[in-house]
Amino acid sequence: MPIVVRLDVELAKRKMGVGEFADLVGLTPANVAVLKNGRAKAVRFSTLESICRVLGCQPGDILEYVED
Amino acid sequence: MTVDGFRSTIDDVLPRWVIPPLKVLLALFFVGLVVLQAMSLPGSLAHMVEEDPSTAPIRWPLFAVLLTGLVCVQVVVVCTWRLLDLVRDDRIFDDRAFPWVDGIIAAVCLAWLLLVGLLVWAGATADDPGVPVVLTGMVLASGVLGLLMVVMRALLRQATALRTEMAQVI
Repeated sequence: MPIVVRLDVELAKRKMGVGEFADLVGLTPANVAVLKNGRAKAVRFSTLESICRVLGCQPGDILEYVED
Repeated sequence: MTVDGFRSTIDDVLPRWVIPPLKVLLALFFVGLVVLQAMSLPGSLAHMVEEDPSTAPIRWPLFAVLLTGLVCVQVVVVCTWRLLDLVRDDRIFDDRAFPWVDGIIAAVCLAWLLLVGLLVWAGATADDPGVPVVLTGMVLASGVLGLLMVVMRALLRQATALRTEMAQVI
């Protein structure tokens, strides 16, 4: 998919573990893994909102469009 | 509320008390059908032959047709029971629900064909209109039921696709 989720970069910058991140956002670790692996098909705005709040970033910092 | 918690489950929309009494009624209905098959049906056919010995040749064919018809109703009851279990466990929107729905549709189709056969036969032989009129009503009712089940199946198919799609949303 040409939309890439840059979650691992943002997590590494903040030295935040997947488990802690999942807890803070309110996602299951399994769904965080789906996001990180680029297998996610759709994300709720409310999920995106929680991610941005927890990481203190903008949606554009997490989502990126790349040509196929 | 967690972000994952949006999926509405059956417990949010269906009162918990509905399914158990429904299953009790289905069980009683099933028992009634067994009593009908095992006692009433052979008894009334024997009585028919006693009253009018000329009906002896149709005794067993009629028994077979009526017995099959009652089995069709039992199949519908069993399939409905299984589907209610799936509803209760919130697994109804799943490919595994469809064989039970198909079972209901097949049983209603067979019952409809049997009723049409009985109607044609009764229409040709009966000397009073009572039985053909009742049979006509049953043919119409089972036709409506069968076609409604086809519509319900299509709706279930749509809902299953939607649920599958929604399950992928994070």
